[in-house]
Formats: sequence, C-alpha cells, structure tokens
Amino acid sequence: MTVHPQNTAQGSPSGGPDKAAAKQCLLAADRHLKESRFQDARAEIEKAKKLDPGNVYVVAFLDRINFFESEKKKEAPPPPPPPPPPPKPVPKPAAPAATPAPPPAGAPPAAPLHPAPKPKESSPPPTATEQKAMETTLEEMKRQIEMLSHSLDQERKAREEMTKQQIQANVLQLRTSMEKAWLNGAPNDQEGEELHKLAVSLSIPENVELSLRREVKLKMYSNAVKEVISKRQLLRSSSSTLEWLRKVYQVTMEEYLEYETKFLLDLVADQYKGTLLYVSPNLKGKDDLLPRLKSAGYAVVLSGTPEEALEKIEKVNPNLILCHTEFAPGSLSGIKFLHLLRASPKFNFIPFILLCEPSEVSQLQSSELRQHEGFLKKPVDADELMITMNEKLTHFRDYVSSLS
Amino acid sequence: MSKKILLAEDDEDNRDLVSFVLMRSRLGAELIIAENGQEAVDKAFEHLPNLILMDMQMPVMDGWTAIPILKADKRTKHIPIIAFTAQAKPEDKIRTLEIGCAEHYSKPMDPQELITLITKYLAE
Repeated sequence: MTVHPQNTAQGSPSGGPDKAAAKQCLLAADRHLKESRFQDARAEIEKAKKLDPGNVYVVAFLDRINFFESEKKKEAPPPPPPPPPPPKPVPKPAAPAATPAPPPAGAPPAAPLHPAPKPKESSPPPTATEQKAMETTLEEMKRQIEMLSHSLDQERKAREEMTKQQIQANVLQLRTSMEKAWLNGAPNDQEGEELHKLAVSLSIPENVELSLRREVKLKMYSNAVKEVISKRQLLRSSSSTLEWLRKVYQVTMEEYLEYETKFLLDLVADQYKGTLLYVSPNLKGKDDLLPRLKSAGYAVVLSGTPEEALEKIEKVNPNLILCHTEFAPGSLSGIKFLHLLRASPKFNFIPFILLCEPSEVSQLQSSELRQHEGFLKKPVDADELMITMNEKLTHFRDYVSSLS
Repeated sequence: MSKKILLAEDDEDNRDLVSFVLMRSRLGAELIIAENGQEAVDKAFEHLPNLILMDMQMPVMDGWTAIPILKADKRTKHIPIIAFTAQAKPEDKIRTLEIGCAEHYSKPMDPQELITLITKYLAE
C-alpha cells in the first residue's frame, strides 16, 4: 500500500482540510483501481474523505470503484464456492514492541486508522435508478467545476484590474510629482534623487520612469515655449529665448529635433504658413536657409537623406518639399527621390523644389518638370527661394481647391 | 536667507515675463513687485532688496523721479538699480547712469542676458 506522509493524519496540521494529502490518496486510489485492487482503492478513498471531507471527487471515485468492480466480476468466471471463513481473530491489545513509533517532533498527532470499509461481496450492475443518480452526480460535479472555473476567472480578472489600477495610480503619482519638479526647468540633483526614490518606492520600473521623465520634460518645455511665445513682442529674439529654454529644461538637440515641428508650430502659431520637408545632406553644418524659412512662418521638418524623408513624409504631410540633389554615396539622389514621389498617387502633387549644383542646371532645364515642381541653383538666394515657394504653394492651393 | 529683487514695472506682461524668467533661472531670489515709482520707493524702504529693476516710464511716479529718491536715502543708496527702458538712445543710457543706476537695460528682453546681469549684481 502506498504510504503518504500525511495519510495517517486527519486534516491538516492547521485543522482545516488537507487537500494535498487527500489528493495523494485519490491518486493512490486511482493506481489501485487500475490494478483492480478495489479494496486498497477504497481504503485510500476513505482516507481522502477524512483528510478533506468536502472533496467532491470522493463520492465520484467510490462510484467509479463500484462500477469497475462490477464490470470486473462480470468478466471473471464464477468463483468456486468459498470455503467457510476462518474465525476472525480477536484483536489483542498491542504489545509495547508493536506500538508504532511516536511521530516526529512537530508532526500533528496521528489519527487512529479507520478500517477500510468492507468491499461488497458482489456488486450487481447498477440499476437504472443508480445510473441516473450517477449521471446526476456527474452533472452536479460538472456544474460545480464550471462555477469554480468561472469564479476563478472572475477573481483573476479582478486581481488584474486591481493591479492595473494600482500601477496607473502609481504612475499618476509620479507624474504629478515630476510635473511639479519640472515646472520651472530641470530639477536640481537633490530633487532628481527624490523623484527617483519615489519611483522606486512606487515599484515603477526604471524604463517607465525614464520615459515618464522625458515625457514630462518635453511637456513642460512645450508649455514654457507657448508661454514665452505669447509674449514674444517683449522678447528680443524668439530663437535665443527658445535656446535658453532648451537649456533650462535640459532638452537635448536630438529631442528638440524630434519634436521640432510641434515646437515650431507653437512658435509660429499665428503666422503659420505651412510645413516644409527640407531634405539636406548638411544638417549638422551651417545652413543659412533654415532661419529664413522659420522666420517666414514655415514649420520646417529636417531630413538628412531622401530615405529618411520617405520615412517622415506620411507622418509630416508636408505642404512643400525642398530637396538638395546630391547626397552621400549609397543614398538616393534628389532627382531619384522626386521620381519616386511622382510614382506615388499619395505624394505626387506635393510641390517639390530641387536645390541643384550649377552643373545640373542644363539637365534640369531640359527635363520635363511639372507645374508644381521646380529647381533653384546653389547658392540659393533666399528671396528667390521665397518667390519660388509661394509660386508652387499657390499652384498647390489651386489644385486642392479644384478637388472640392 | 534668499535674496530679494524689487521689480518696478507698470506693464503686466513685462512683469509676468520677468517673473517667468526669474523662476526658471533657479536663483532662488524672492521677487517683489511694484506697479509704479511711488510703490517702488515704498517697497524698497520696506523690504531693502538686494537689487532693483526699474522701468523708467511708469504712471504716478516714473523711474527718473524714483531713483534719485532711493539714491538719496542712506538705507537704499547702496542698492544696485538696473534701469529698464524701451528707449535705446545713447543719451538715455548716459542719463540713467548719471542718476545713479548701475546698469541700463534696453527692452525688449533677452532672458539669458537678463539672468546674467541679475546674477552679476546679486553676487555683488
């Protein structure tokens, strides 16, 4: 017979049902049943019942044992008449030597072993009523399992919702503290450390903390830009003020460029003329056109290569594209970029101005540029550029109006 | 103890802008506001600030009148005064220096420049 550590104990050490031990008994019963050791199986079931009286499988298991036993008897030839049973020995009080060893220290007191119920001498096949009762029991078990699964599912969902709400509340708390600290610019080291400690105490992962910090910083910078711009008539230079604010809020140039369109829209809110996608290979160097374009009221989005411009174009939805013709080897040329856009029905109507080398002028003059396309020779005269841009944008406006 | 800056300025937008810039300078200075020259004189005697930013064109009493009063009083004569003026003529600058201003600052403002100037006089 299988021995389980708890199989002599009634209930768990805490006094409640010992579900684990009961489960072990049920598993042992199952093994006995498979080996047609019905008596042993019943004994295990009895133990399981004592260990976990509420276990719904116990009754079902007993029914299963009865059923298998009756089936087995049907298959077997009728046994010879049994010899008269020997007289049952009268149980004697156990000798001291036979006394079971005391349980180890700390173990719960052993419960007396109950004798397994006597197996039925012969089980007749279940009657229709019994069959019906078994089916009802099974149905009831199924129903209980479904109810339990449903309850567990509900509990899991509730727990997940609570966790989600808790995380949201923690993030909100950190965001509020960050916004307060970043209101007037980057917090000092001590404030920064306190914010980090708060994030740790709220169990907010570091990547979330960093992302939140960046988000808050850019939001506060953007708010400051708006505030400053509303008073720009009192300022000597909007661009130097923005540069000062960029330092105050510790906004890096990369971050600034990433959000440049938004910031510039704030800057030129009341004189906004449109968005330009400016594709230039010398973004890191000095570009005299940029300040002129910005001060003229254009939000300028920069791209270092035509490939990068292709990635940005859908997001930016520019009103005009300004593009140099020559880029680093391996990159598309400005003319190739123009041809690619021509092939796209989504972008083939956007005004496009090429900024070409003097040697390319004759080639471009002979090419069949469309009405909304044009070119200017480098070095570009800013006034000439403004005139060309206005001309192309007028064409663009006419085209858009014709659609309505 | 935090330093005190008295701003005498009648234009609300300018007051807001100076306040905005000072807040972001992280100098930790306390800003006291006066809306005209008379109020500036009263508040200067009351608070004895470390620095005065004085607009020259104000109602009730202008900066040209208020500054000599402050420079004549032993309690306030040592306080550096930066004259704020929209007039950028060289003679205006000379005149402000003559009446005792430490510096002449022409509007419109440049935040970085203003902070540098304020920091310089607060350090003194």
